[in-house]
Amino acid sequence: MKPPFARPVSSSGDAAEEPRRPRVFEPAQAVALPESIEPITDIEAPLDDAARPPRLLGWVGRVAWIAGGILVSLALGLAAERLIAELFAAQPWLGWVGLGVLAVLVIALLVIIVREVASLLRLRALDQLRHAAIAALASDRNKDGAAITRELLEIYARRPDVARPRDELESNARHVFDGAEHVRLGERLLMAPLDTRARALTAASARRVALVTAVSPRALIDIAFVIFESVRLGGDIARLYGARPGFIGTWRLIGAILAHLAVTGGLVLTDGVVEQLVGQGLAAKLSARLGEGVVNGLMTVRVGIAAMRVVRPLPFEVVKQPMVKDFIPELANVLNAEKK
Amino acid sequence: MPQAPTTITDEIGIALGNLADAAVAPFTPTLRLGVTGLSRAGKTIFITALIHNLLTGGRLPGFAALTEGRFIGARLAEHPDAGIPRFAYEQHLAALTGKEPHWPESTRKISQLRLTLKFQSKRWVSGMFGPTVLNLDIVDYPGEWLLDLPLLSLSFAEWSAQALKRAALPHSKTEAAAFMSEIQQTDSSKEATDVDAERLAAAFTDYLRRSREDGRALSTLPPGRFLLPGDLDGSPALTFAPLPPPVGPVRSSSLYAMLERRYEAYKAIVVRPFFRDHFARLDRQVVLVDTLRALNAGPAAVADLETALTDILSCFRQGDNNPITRLVARRIDRILFAATKADHIHSSSHDRLEAVMNRLVADAARKARFAGAETRSMAIAAIRATRESVIEDGGEKHEVIVGTPQAGEVLDGKTYDGKTEIALFPGDLPEHPDALFEADSLREGGRPVALNFLRFQPPQRLEKNAEGNVVLPHIRFDRALDYLIGDWLR
Repeated sequence: MKPPFARPVSSSGDAAEEPRRPRVFEPAQAVALPESIEPITDIEAPLDDAARPPRLLGWVGRVAWIAGGILVSLALGLAAERLIAELFAAQPWLGWVGLGVLAVLVIALLVIIVREVASLLRLRALDQLRHAAIAALASDRNKDGAAITRELLEIYARRPDVARPRDELESNARHVFDGAEHVRLGERLLMAPLDTRARALTAASARRVALVTAVSPRALIDIAFVIFESVRLGGDIARLYGARPGFIGTWRLIGAILAHLAVTGGLVLTDGVVEQLVGQGLAAKLSARLGEGVVNGLMTVRVGIAAMRVVRPLPFEVVKQPMVKDFIPELANVLNAEKK
Repeated sequence: MPQAPTTITDEIGIALGNLADAAVAPFTPTLRLGVTGLSRAGKTIFITALIHNLLTGGRLPGFAALTEGRFIGARLAEHPDAGIPRFAYEQHLAALTGKEPHWPESTRKISQLRLTLKFQSKRWVSGMFGPTVLNLDIVDYPGEWLLDLPLLSLSFAEWSAQALKRAALPHSKTEAAAFMSEIQQTDSSKEATDVDAERLAAAFTDYLRRSREDGRALSTLPPGRFLLPGDLDGSPALTFAPLPPPVGPVRSSSLYAMLERRYEAYKAIVVRPFFRDHFARLDRQVVLVDTLRALNAGPAAVADLETALTDILSCFRQGDNNPITRLVARRIDRILFAATKADHIHSSSHDRLEAVMNRLVADAARKARFAGAETRSMAIAAIRATRESVIEDGGEKHEVIVGTPQAGEVLDGKTYDGKTEIALFPGDLPEHPDALFEADSLREGGRPVALNFLRFQPPQRLEKNAEGNVVLPHIRFDRALDYLIGDWLR
């Protein structure tokens, strides 16, 4: 049988730290406050709202892709090599010209690749910034908020159109003591003017779509136009908020917008009802084509809103997110213009 | 059974006043902001900073109406109540921004001010008719008077019992000794004479004054007018003292009965009008708590402050408003608990300061929330007197504040002259606020918590904005303002 015993358990970590006593120093000893703002780029992206789809191919697929890629590269390299060699065989000066053109092609391709990568990184940075801003709103820690303000200032550092709000943000942020307040300030000062312009872009695009749908003779034409306008609008809004989507970037962006539309499509039921009423009811009574025009216009509005939500570097916290119904007066103007 | 704080007549008056307000509300609504705080909590500074910031459109990044560009401006307006002095905003500002900046004198009388705010509303109904106007009424008063409010629901016997019990506590023994011996020599049931009443009142006042000077047990010492009598000095309503109840029935000619009548008269003449005219019809309330001063004075003062705040706040009418009852019965629907003088510690400790204050006002906040009011707590400084820095000493980083302590402040045996600038590390606030509420000494994890907060001179060099107005530095004042009046400026 074991005897009973008592042993001190090592006390928890916080008790080990001695509370520090008050002290006085010479002010001259005080060092300048070090820049203690940590970059937020290494913050792990929080979990997505939607579950990720399972990988279809797994590592086998990756091996297949890589092997295929190597083969294609080899084929291209060989073709280029042969082409140059044949050119040299035909005429030496022709060979030199071919070589030069090839070099130009390679350099151009490299530049394009660098730009694409930069644009993808930019899109990712905006996305990360938004996640970090959501986290800062929740934690309210000054350090998180200051990092977001700094990142925002960096993103818009070379934009002359927001120079004034940027200055204001820079001078005011020094007097802010809470993380959430940093985010709100950034949204009020920097995002609000951009939001207004994004709204204007969306409204203009929706008007164009409505008009083209109303007058176009073929359904195929309006579908093509809707797609064209949507892509253009997405790119415009992304550029407005500081992303510079290239070719792949645009694809990514469109994918994100579509995914966003798919997720929120069912959620904005109230807006959907408005659409139904306006599209099927009132406008349809005037003319079937007009009704379709309005519906297509509203679809474009949705694309615009989704694009804003995808590329805006801060979440909608103090500024109201635009709703589809806010744009109905704009579209009604088109209808009125039509009637005249 | 606690007494109602007001009479039926008062209630009718209050309801009529509210109706009159409701009648003009569609044109120019009035928002009554109750700035509540015990003496030296920073009421005058808060109000001065509020007026100055709104008048000059100061640096308030967190104040939505201003940042969104909808706030057009403010001006000082005539207060409809002509019987009360105007808040001496200009003098207070001059004291703060003059050649030798100093904090304004402590408030000795009541004063009020009306500020008219003009803004562009976001709502389409109000926004259609151009800019909207809102009146903001603010009252400043000596914090001591606030201690009287709990008396409204106490009878003489209850109050006497409380006051005598407090005087007998060990930490007030020295101050109360003279008064207690007077009480013991006095027979409550003897024939009433003015001489006895005056003698007792003098001894009681002396005890109150001495315990306030001591600075430890300032908070729970009503009646407040004994310390700041104003015009009523020497009147019968101010000549009474707590008495133990006599044995047997109370004769109407006894000393006890006389003092009881005077106590009731004090309530009727002094306390009830003060409450009725200034606190019964508030819309918003900010409770300023000088947490750091109580921490400096020790656990007894902290406990004292907690009781005082809970008692005082239970007098206010808190709860949610609905448009119909609002016509006759206004309630405070938002309360901000603000730990003032947050500039006396480094911003990395602000959350701990907030935690301590939350613990202090926990009861009061719970009651208010139960009644339906919204509450929030913040560590603020209406005027920031220090700046922050970091000092490395022996490999250890100290977050310090740099400022000029007021003349007469003492730390480690050194007395400051009010001119030298120092970098102060005021000690770590405990992680768990409960450590500060334990009975004998400030301890955390068995070790004493060493804290010492010095009072600082106001900022000596102030920035000016483009219009030449002084910009008052602050901590979270914008956020406090946004919480208190922001939703009326939508």
